[in-house]
Amino acid sequence: MEKAAGNSKSKIPYRKIFIEQAPTAIAMLDKDMCYIAASDYWIKEHKLQGIEIIGRSYYDIFPNISDDSKELHQQCLTNAINIFDEAPFTQKDGTIQWLYWDIHPWYISKNKVGGLFIHTIDITPNKESELKIARTLDIFTKTKEVAKMGTWEINIATSKVYWSKITREIHEVPLGFQPDLENAINFFEEKNSRPKLRAKIQDSIEKGIPFDSDFELITANNNLRWVRVIGKPEIIDGNITNVIGLVQDISDVKFSKLQLNIAHSQLKAIYNSESISIFSTDSNGIINHFNKGAEQLLGYSAEEMEGKKEPTYFLFPEEVNKFRKELAILHGKNPDNFSHYRDLVYENVNDTREWNYIRKDGSIVPAQCTVSSVKDDLGKNIGFIVVSTDISDLKNHQNEILAKNQLLNFAEKMILMGHWRLNMITNQAYWSKNLYKIFEVEEGNIEVSLDNFQKFVHPDDKQMLLEHMQETMHTKVFQNFSHRIISGGGNVKTIHVMGKVVTNEKNEIVELIGTSQDVTDLKMAEKKFKGLLESAPDAMVIIDEQGSIQLINKQTESLFHHSSEELVLQSVEILIPHILTSVKAAKFSNDNITRQIGIIEELFAIQKTGKKIPVQINMAPLQWEEGILISLAIRDITKQKAAERKILKAKENLEGFAQKLTEQNKQLADFTHITSHNLRSPVSNLNSLLDIYKTTDSETLRLNLFEKFETVINHLTLTLNTLVEALKTKSGHSKDDIEEILFEDMLRLTKDVLAGQILKSGATITSDFSKCSKIQYHKIYLESIFLNLVSNAIKYSSEERKPIIEIESMNQNGKIMLTFKDNGLGIDLEQHGHKLFGLNKVFHRHPDAKGVGLFLTKSQIEAMGGTIYASSKVGIGTTFTINFN
Amino acid sequence: MKNTPKICIIDDDYIYRYTVVKKMETMHLLVNTLAFEDGEMALAFILDNLNIDSELPDVIFLDIDMPVMDGFQFIKEFAKIESQLNKKIDIYMISSSLDPVDIERAQRIDSIADYFVKPIKTEQLQSVFLNLQ
Repeated sequence: MEKAAGNSKSKIPYRKIFIEQAPTAIAMLDKDMCYIAASDYWIKEHKLQGIEIIGRSYYDIFPNISDDSKELHQQCLTNAINIFDEAPFTQKDGTIQWLYWDIHPWYISKNKVGGLFIHTIDITPNKESELKIARTLDIFTKTKEVAKMGTWEINIATSKVYWSKITREIHEVPLGFQPDLENAINFFEEKNSRPKLRAKIQDSIEKGIPFDSDFELITANNNLRWVRVIGKPEIIDGNITNVIGLVQDISDVKFSKLQLNIAHSQLKAIYNSESISIFSTDSNGIINHFNKGAEQLLGYSAEEMEGKKEPTYFLFPEEVNKFRKELAILHGKNPDNFSHYRDLVYENVNDTREWNYIRKDGSIVPAQCTVSSVKDDLGKNIGFIVVSTDISDLKNHQNEILAKNQLLNFAEKMILMGHWRLNMITNQAYWSKNLYKIFEVEEGNIEVSLDNFQKFVHPDDKQMLLEHMQETMHTKVFQNFSHRIISGGGNVKTIHVMGKVVTNEKNEIVELIGTSQDVTDLKMAEKKFKGLLESAPDAMVIIDEQGSIQLINKQTESLFHHSSEELVLQSVEILIPHILTSVKAAKFSNDNITRQIGIIEELFAIQKTGKKIPVQINMAPLQWEEGILISLAIRDITKQKAAERKILKAKENLEGFAQKLTEQNKQLADFTHITSHNLRSPVSNLNSLLDIYKTTDSETLRLNLFEKFETVINHLTLTLNTLVEALKTKSGHSKDDIEEILFEDMLRLTKDVLAGQILKSGATITSDFSKCSKIQYHKIYLESIFLNLVSNAIKYSSEERKPIIEIESMNQNGKIMLTFKDNGLGIDLEQHGHKLFGLNKVFHRHPDAKGVGLFLTKSQIEAMGGTIYASSKVGIGTTFTINFN
Repeated sequence: MKNTPKICIIDDDYIYRYTVVKKMETMHLLVNTLAFEDGEMALAFILDNLNIDSELPDVIFLDIDMPVMDGFQFIKEFAKIESQLNKKIDIYMISSSLDPVDIERAQRIDSIADYFVKPIKTEQLQSVFLNLQ
């Protein structure tokens, strides 16, 4: 160093700084091949850290240098030539490097070589490919450019400033420009750079402090430049004599750096964002970054992940395998045992696809992810960065749309409907899947266009379709219509088309959109329905809910003498007045319940002539496209009505007969009973007595028997007389027997006849005939009725009290009634009620009880068309009520 | 049979009762007879002698048509007390009625041994006594 300094007092220092700062491996040697200076890169590259090299021999440092090389160095020193070489080089630590050598001499003065510059570039990896060599050359060129730094010098004693050529170029000053300390500093941006530089230079001049800083420079041509200024004071004998330095244009680097800073902060913002999930892996596949967004998306914290887990921890193995395999194929590698960490060194990876993440809670979240390789400064892959966005919402929407499309497809299939679009500008058409099906053509087999569509249209409908198109173009309104087609399969189908015209802001038609439905079956059904309507035996009228006639059949025309034209769209009340009230009351819905009217109540229809005809109507709802229609089946029941009247009359007659027959049957039953009991028993007694009479010899017994004969014969006579009387009653009576009788007179007569009994029993008879004093009746019967009832009341009076008999007449709505109420023994009607009025029925052990009176009374009352009944309580009394008619 | 059988005639017709007794006499049948004019009187007697078997009849000839309580009503009431009796009593319904309604009704009642139409015949009386032995 001392030597070197001695050799070149003024020049070496520049070079020394220059060399140290050079961004490449460079060493400066003196003529004896001893180090004067070496760049930091040199130290690093040749692994000389911590070793003192300045002043030491180059060959001491690298003892393995060949003699060939040494000779080359000497040639270079003596002949002042530049040498380029590539050679393997054994480092101090023994490793072998391939180095590119650039050796050239430096000069103390013109033609006088001061020593050598040795510049090396490690090309060990470059040997692997030609591409790398080019890069090395590029770096080398750049290094050379960088080496073109400007130099400057301040002489403190003279205050003179020296600028090298490059320094001048950097400042963009003309060659004749004479710099001094002041104007030199004034080139710097005044706010920050100028005061900073001024202070630095001040410090170096006064205190001997070196500096190395970046400053903003404004050139003579007013260009903004970033420069690196290095200053180093030169101290001789403890005095600062000079400040020498370098200036380097670093604008490109600086601006890039600024840009980089901006980009970096932007990236940082992105990285910190919670809406984007970012994580990265190192070269071993371990997660080394896991941002907030990732934490949120996956539910794991960065702490749980960073440095601990691989992404496979939350991925589906099958997805990972697929990813690996595809990546391998893309980069031409063998997919078996492929690892994108191990097997992709320089390849760029940029893969965007959907992944499913398994969240910490076990749920699954779909994400759109971009996997990119992360490279070091040599372009080598050192891991991957994964940017993902949660697409579950998107997925949901996608699924929803998919589902809706599927539903639409189903719906179209079910109702045999397809939809279409026709772009009127490009004449391009779109058909839905189902439309192809309806037209019976394979999707993709034909180009759908208006022309091709027209080929399917039934020949008879082509003109109609044309007219429809013209009308649509003209009015810009698409009228719904039906046409027939001959499908790809040769079937004739009826198609119902509904459409819409789409216009632009200039009201020009740009598109037609619409649906086409296969209504062939519907048309058939309509035809069938009409046929059915015509074949109905009744007059059929179809009305809407407002009562407007929609459709009638021929039977209606003939029943009402109206033509179809006269009736359609008229109110149904022309035909059947007031029917709408019934229709509304029926509250028809689509439950298909049939209701009948005109069955109980009279219902009339009016013919065109004004004639009223009785009708019956069956009403039923019909579900129609646009709501409910009501069908009325109207039946003329004139004939039925007439027949019905006849039947009713016959029925009435029959009922009369039946009643009479019942009565006669009952009477017959009564007589059966009478002959059975009342006549047979005395006869059987007579037989028994006779039998005994025959078998006995005893005279006493025989006399005795005669007494018995007499009793039986008397009894028999009485019974026969009663029967004769009753039979007479039944056989009817003449008008002459009927006369007006005052109840008062009748009671007086009865009292006269029964005077003895009344007196003997001490009976009281009261009467009230105020409500009805007289009656037109059979006098003898009424006498008998009075006699029987009053005498019964006395006969069966209670021994505990005197008989009281109350007789009262009433007239209830023209019906004359009479009651006989007594306070006698009373009868248990529950036990004896059924035989109260029977012949020879007795209910008390009364010596006079013969069971004849009530039997006759009832016969007489019934013969006159009346009724009699009793109410009674044992021990309290009995009341007989007679209803005369 | 040790004791003389006891026959109970329930009939409001005294002529009939007389002819039955006389008939049995002429047939030389050894019997004791009891007579009641209606069902209620007969029922009252049975109730009074529920536990005195010697007083109770072995056979009842029951008429249908009677005042106060007729033959069918009697049967109904008798059925209610029958379980309290130690003695078996055969009931024959005897009526002048040829009415099939009456005959059928009688035949439907289990406690009626038989139905005879008046006048009662010798053979019928004999079968009643045969059944007793």
